[in-house]
Amino acid sequence: MSVTIAVAGKGGVGKTAISAILVDFLSGKGTVLAVDADPSTNLNEALGIDLVSTVGKTREKMTDEIKGGRLTMAASKQEILDARIHESLVETPRFDLLAMGRPEGPGCYCAANHMIRFSIDKLAKSYDYIVMDCEAGLEHISRQTTKDIDFLLAVTDPTMRGLNTAIRLQKLAGEMRTNIKVGVLLVVNRLRNGLPPEIKEAVAKSELGLFATIPEDPYISDLDIKGKPLITLPLDSPFRRAVQEILFRLKIK
Amino acid sequence: MTEGVFPVDIGPQYEGEVIRKTDMRIEFGGPNVRSKFELVAIKEPAEIVHEKVEVVGPDIAEFPEESSQPIALLVEIGGSRLEKDIEPVLERRLHLYLNYIEGVYHMNQRQDIWIRLRKDSFNKGLNSLKILGDMLIFLYSSEIDIIEKIQVTFITDGSKVEELLPRAMQVYGARDEKARGLREADVEEFYSCALCQSFAPTHICCITPERIANCGAINWFDGKAAYQLDPEGPIQAVKKGEILDAVRGEYTGANQLALEKSMGAYNKVYLHSAFAYPHTSCGCFQAICFYIPEVDAFGIVHRDFEGDTVIGAPFTTLAGDTSGGRQVEGFLGIALEYLRSPSFLKADGGWYRIVWMPQIIKELFRDACPMDLYDKIATENDVHNVEELVEFLDRVEHPWVKGEIKLPV
Repeated sequence: MSVTIAVAGKGGVGKTAISAILVDFLSGKGTVLAVDADPSTNLNEALGIDLVSTVGKTREKMTDEIKGGRLTMAASKQEILDARIHESLVETPRFDLLAMGRPEGPGCYCAANHMIRFSIDKLAKSYDYIVMDCEAGLEHISRQTTKDIDFLLAVTDPTMRGLNTAIRLQKLAGEMRTNIKVGVLLVVNRLRNGLPPEIKEAVAKSELGLFATIPEDPYISDLDIKGKPLITLPLDSPFRRAVQEILFRLKIK
Repeated sequence: MTEGVFPVDIGPQYEGEVIRKTDMRIEFGGPNVRSKFELVAIKEPAEIVHEKVEVVGPDIAEFPEESSQPIALLVEIGGSRLEKDIEPVLERRLHLYLNYIEGVYHMNQRQDIWIRLRKDSFNKGLNSLKILGDMLIFLYSSEIDIIEKIQVTFITDGSKVEELLPRAMQVYGARDEKARGLREADVEEFYSCALCQSFAPTHICCITPERIANCGAINWFDGKAAYQLDPEGPIQAVKKGEILDAVRGEYTGANQLALEKSMGAYNKVYLHSAFAYPHTSCGCFQAICFYIPEVDAFGIVHRDFEGDTVIGAPFTTLAGDTSGGRQVEGFLGIALEYLRSPSFLKADGGWYRIVWMPQIIKELFRDACPMDLYDKIATENDVHNVEELVEFLDRVEHPWVKGEIKLPV
């Protein structure tokens, strides 16, 4: 059975960084599929690799081929899609990456998304760990990727807007068909001197208990300045240690 | 069942296993290799040396680790009860059987194949294509008893693969031609798709060889494959039943389906007419055929068309009139591919009843449009309203407007 960790939150709170370090750690323990499910960020850049294609592009290309009557009749669309999704995987020695790309444009994608879900479920089963970098709306979780998630990390920075998004995530997760086994876990990133009292109070009022905090890490801004991938973060950096602590507390050792 | 005979296990439990690049000993074909294909051919039994496996070119162990290599996989099969028609079915079995083998995955088909072998299976002894060939022969022979003789050839010499590829392409082309020729009369089963019922509870798509689902994503072959993959899923097989009206496309099976799945709203459906009992339309159709009373003919508009159609309403307005899982006379939600069906609006005059469509659709479907008609269908570049349309049709002498087209009876 694979373990799926989804990381979500408002834009800019550091979920891509957390996802990248999770991938880095987990790839030392087993096989990892990293899923970039947020079209506005670039998990691949944080991981230091180039993208070949995205599931979205695959879907659009197939739609065009169907319209033009160019799709082969040798196999069913489901089988063709299975293969194309494999082809869009970026394979590295330590982990594989699948980028979801843009959500669909106007038109009907019931059948297409049904097939994509089927293909991705099949693919994901083969990995020990799946790490999904999600957008705040959880669009891809609710519509396209795996049905079951073990942990949903709701990430925020110490701002009220970030926290409100995280709280909304919990509500959203409850409304979806998605089955989140362990629940929504709040992670506050970029803390300077502990939790500000206002945030502390708001957390206490919400149903979302505080799961973990991550300190502001000067190494990260240094990497950003140099344009280096986040995965090259030094082993002793506070950020890395905090993410490792999260894994430990999730009982993924 | 295979213990002791083959170095690795065989079984459906290995289907869908992913072989990561770092774990692979070798891959044949795939995105990085140009020369590749697979082909199953039915031959006279006398032409086949039973259970022979031949490898032309280097074998697995002679290739560098983790490399990508060319391949042609040829399976020749003989049997008194085997006909040429079954070749594509037996060829598709390659996908299934290779995936049954522990540590082997197979993707795609025909000239796009992609086969990977995992290191641990190689180390267990699956280190030669000869063994892989034996395993394939075992699987084919034990699963399909009408096979009397079978031989397998692997070609890993890229230039030889290239040499043979054009002939394989000819075979594929001929098969597609044949599949396109499949008609409702040739099959016993249609397929139904209920994926859109969450939006349109009384809508059920009836998919036949001559009628692709409204969304354009699922044709009869897809329906068949989806049903086999997931028999409890949203796509189900439907007994065709008796044909009640060959012109309009009315079948007892499709009527029964409509009755059961529309929650009793409809009990009669014409698969190939926009009048009387047209197929229901979900919200997902790619295009709409809409009746234009002034000329007693149809226009077609697709979802991506911006602006007003010739009758003054945009797609979205017409979609509102058409959708929701209802039978609406004169408004039919369709897949664009349905324009290529030989039964496209057969009862109503087919292509000859079409008088307006967006330029881009006209171009995309030029291959399906009767040659004498192409210049006589107006587009948004020719006319802007019905008045201009009437004038245009008179000027170009559209055969429907001239009364030259007789409806089938």
